[in-house]
Amino acid sequence: MPKAPPRSAAPKPDPALQSLLDVHEATLPNGLRVRLLANPQTPVVSLYTFFQVGSRNERPGITGISHLFEHMMFNGAKKYGPKQFDRVLESNGGRSNAYTSTDMTVYYDDFSSDALETVLDLESDRMRSLRISDANLASEREVVKEERRVRVDNEITGMLDEELGTLVYKAHPYRWPVIGWMADIENISRQDCEEYFRTYYAPNNAVLYISGDIDPKKTLALIRRYYGDIPKGPRPLPVVDAEPSQKGERRAVIRHPAQSPSLMVGFRGPRATAPDAQVLDVIQYALNKGEGSRLVKGLVYEQQLAVSVMLDWGWRIDPGAIVFYMELKPGSDPQKVEAALYAELERVAREGLTERELQKAKNNLRADHFRELGTNTGRAHALGNYEALLGSWRSLLELPGHYAAITNEQVKAAAAKYFAPEGRSVVTLLPVPESESESETAAA
Amino acid sequence: MASRPRAAPKKAAASRSRAAAPKKSAASRPLKLPEVSESTTSSGLQVIAAERGPLPLVSMRLVLRAGSATDPKDKAGLADFTVRLLRRGTARMSADEIDEAVEFVGASLATGVSEDLMSLYVTTPAEHFPAMLAVLGQLVSEPAFPEKEVELARERSLAQFANDLDDPSTVADRAFTRALWGDHPYGHDVGGSASHVRTFTREDVARFHRERIGPKGALLVVVGAVKPEVVAAEAEKAFAPWVRTEQLEPVRAPSVEVVAQAGRILLVDKPDQTQSQVRIGGPGYRIGHPDYFAATAMNISLGGGFTSRLVNAIRVERGLSYGVGSYFDAMQAGGAFAISTFTKTASTREIIDVALAEVAKVRKGGTTPRELLAAQTYLAGLYPLRTETNDSVASVLADIRMHGLGEDWVELFRDRLRAVTPKQVKLAAAKYLFPQPPAIVVLGKASEVQKQLKGLGPITVVPVSEYE
Repeated sequence: MPKAPPRSAAPKPDPALQSLLDVHEATLPNGLRVRLLANPQTPVVSLYTFFQVGSRNERPGITGISHLFEHMMFNGAKKYGPKQFDRVLESNGGRSNAYTSTDMTVYYDDFSSDALETVLDLESDRMRSLRISDANLASEREVVKEERRVRVDNEITGMLDEELGTLVYKAHPYRWPVIGWMADIENISRQDCEEYFRTYYAPNNAVLYISGDIDPKKTLALIRRYYGDIPKGPRPLPVVDAEPSQKGERRAVIRHPAQSPSLMVGFRGPRATAPDAQVLDVIQYALNKGEGSRLVKGLVYEQQLAVSVMLDWGWRIDPGAIVFYMELKPGSDPQKVEAALYAELERVAREGLTERELQKAKNNLRADHFRELGTNTGRAHALGNYEALLGSWRSLLELPGHYAAITNEQVKAAAAKYFAPEGRSVVTLLPVPESESESETAAA
Repeated sequence: MASRPRAAPKKAAASRSRAAAPKKSAASRPLKLPEVSESTTSSGLQVIAAERGPLPLVSMRLVLRAGSATDPKDKAGLADFTVRLLRRGTARMSADEIDEAVEFVGASLATGVSEDLMSLYVTTPAEHFPAMLAVLGQLVSEPAFPEKEVELARERSLAQFANDLDDPSTVADRAFTRALWGDHPYGHDVGGSASHVRTFTREDVARFHRERIGPKGALLVVVGAVKPEVVAAEAEKAFAPWVRTEQLEPVRAPSVEVVAQAGRILLVDKPDQTQSQVRIGGPGYRIGHPDYFAATAMNISLGGGFTSRLVNAIRVERGLSYGVGSYFDAMQAGGAFAISTFTKTASTREIIDVALAEVAKVRKGGTTPRELLAAQTYLAGLYPLRTETNDSVASVLADIRMHGLGEDWVELFRDRLRAVTPKQVKLAAAKYLFPQPPAIVVLGKASEVQKQLKGLGPITVVPVSEYE
C-alpha cells in the first residue's frame, strides 16, 4: 500500500483534529488491524469493517462479484444463520448496511452502546464462517439485477457513467461498473463466491474501526476474544494497472428516449497518493462547490447553457477519473456547452485561480473536513477511507496542512496536465422519440 | 459505488424505550438536549439557542409557516420558487456578493420547503457566525428579486420539470402526491408544475414575500459553538429590520382525512421502462397525533426496518425488488400511510399482490409481541442518533416548537415508545393499514403492465407528460 501524501511540504498534524482523534491502535496476530476512538457524547457506537477488495480486484466474466458478495455477507454464517444478522442486530438496537466501490467493500453498523458485544459476535461470525447456499445466491442475484435496473438501465446518469467508464479505461478494471454487467451478474457461481471469501475476507485483509461510547481497553479485549481465532488468509494478488496512455480524444453517443440531451466528460486523474490528488480537490471545489463556483456561475447563471453541472473527482487507489456531468435544457445543443466547459478548463490551466478562489477552496475543504467528523459514523468512516486510500489514517491529520500549502502554480500545472484535450472522453446522450426506441427494441 | 440499502422510507421515526431493559443500559441512560436559551428580537422573531461543542461549527435554521400548502391556488410551487430567489440579490448585495460572502468562509446556505414549513439552513465555522446571521437577516428582510433572476429561475425550473420526466421515481412520487391529496393544498408537489411555474412573475414572488415571509410564527434555532448571549445580541442586530406590516396570519391547511383516489389505479405510461415504480397509499395521521408511537412501532415490523415483513416477503424470499419500505408521512393537516417499491415489468402485479397481502395480515392480526419488543429496542437504541449533531439537534428543537410536540419530547420519547402494548399496535394496524382500498400508482410500460393490473380497481392510464 502507498505511503502518505507528499513529503515535501511535511505539514504538522492539525491540532484541532488531533484532539478529536485520540485513536487506539492494535493489530491481532491474525493480521486484523483495529482502530478505536472513544466518544462518550451519546450512548451510540459506529463500527466499520473495511475489506481491501472492490471491483478493481475482479476480472471479466464475474464483474460485479464484489458487490453481489457484499449482499451475500448478510445472508447467514455458521452461528447466526440466514436472516439472523439483521434480525439480531435490529432487535438489539442497531442497524447495518454496506457499500462496494472500485477499491473497497465497507460494512457498517450503528447501534446502542449496550449492543457492542452482540455486534462483535455477529461481525466476527460472518468473517469467520460465512455460509452461502444456492437458494440464497439465486434470490440475492435477482435483487442485484433489480438494483442494476434501477441504478443503470432506467437511469440516465447511470447509463452515461457506464459508457464513460469504457472510454476512459481500456485495460484497467475501473473499466466496468461496480455493479457489474448484467450477464456477468447472471454468471457468478457459488464457487466463485466461496473463493472470493477465502481470498479477500480474511482478517489480514480487513481493518476494524469503532467510534463512539466505548472503553477502548475493554473493547480491544472483546475484539481479541471474538476475532482472535479467525485464521489468517493468503495474501491477495496485486492488481496490475496495465492502462496504456491515451493518444487522443474518445467519444461515444447514446441514443435514448429523453427530454433533453446531456453530456458527460471524463479525464484520467492521478492515484490517491499522488500529490496532485489534493490539487485536484482544490480545483474541484473552485470549479463546482457552491453557487458562486466557476462552473455553476459560468455555465448555469451567466451563459445559461446548462441546467446543472456536476464535477465528480474521488480518490482511488489507481488513477481515478475526473468526471463532469451537464444537464441541459430541452432542445439545446450539447456542443455549445461542451465548448464552454473546455474554455473554462483551459482558463484554469492558463491563468490558474484567483488568490481569493484558492483561499475559498481551502476554507471549504477545511470546513467540510470538520463536518465529516461531526458524527461517530463520519469519524470511523474517515479513518477507514484515508487508511484504505493513503495507507494510514494519520494522513487525515496532515491533510489540512497539505491543502493550505497548495499554490496557484500547482493548480495551473495540474489543470494543464489532467484536462489536456487528447486525454478526454466524451459521452453525449441524444434524445430519440419513445416510438423509435420501441421499434428498435422490437427489431432486436 | 453500489450499496445494499432498501428504498429508504421517506420520513423515518425512531427511538427506544425500556421495559425489561438490561441493567445500567445505554438505552436507559437519560437523553437530554443541550440547555436552551430563548429570546425575542424587537421585530418579534423568536430565537432559541443551544451551545454545543466540540467542533468549531454552528448550525442555524430559520423556520417559517410558509410551506407549499400556502401556495396560491393557481400558483403551485410559489413558496419553493420564492425561497430559492431570496439569495439571488438583496437591497444591499448582488447574488454574486451573497454567494461570495457565504461560500468564501466555508459556510453553506440551503433552503427547503415542505407542505407546512419553509426553512433556510446555514452552517458556518463558528468564527463567522455573526456575519452569516447578518446575511440570513438580509435575505428575508430585504430581498430584491431582480427581474432577470426571476426569469432565469423560471427558465431553469421549466427545464428541470421537463428533465424530471426522465426520472421514473420522481414522476411516480409526483403522481402519488396528486393521487393522495387531489385538490387539497397538499395535492401538488412542493416545487409545483410547469404549467403553474410558467406564469410566475416578479410581482407574484414579491407578494408572497410580503404576505408570508415575516417574523410572525417564525423561529430561529441556533446550535453549536457559540454563547447564547452572543446569539441573542446578533439576532437582534440581524433581524431588527425584519418588520412586515403586510404579513398575513399564518394559517394551517384544512384537515384532510381521506385520500383522493382511494380504490383507484393510476398507471403512468413510460414505454422505455424495464422496471415499474409502485406506490400504494391510504390515510395516516397528522403530526403530533397520539397514535404516533404505536403506529411507528408497528410500521417497523411491517415495512420500516431491514428485517420487516415487507422486506422479507419481497426482497429476501422472492427477490422481487432491491428496495421496499412502508412509512407514515405525518403533516399538520393530515397524513398518509404508504408503501414504495419497484420491480421488473413482468412482476409488477406480483409485487403489488405480495405487498397488499402482507399489509392485510398485519391489519387483521397485528404483529407479534416479539416483533413489537424488537421494534421498540431497535428504535430506542438508535434514537440517540437524533441528538448527535448540531444539525440534528436544531432539527428536533425546531420540530418541537413548530409542531407543538412538547418540551420533553426527546427525554420522554423512549419511555413512550416502550409503553406501547401489543393491543395498541393491533388497533393502529386495524385503523391505518388500508381498511379501505388504497390509491395505487404504477409508473412503467403500460402496454405490458395494464393487463397485469386487471381486477385491482378502475385503471386510468396517463402519459408521463401529465406530470411535467
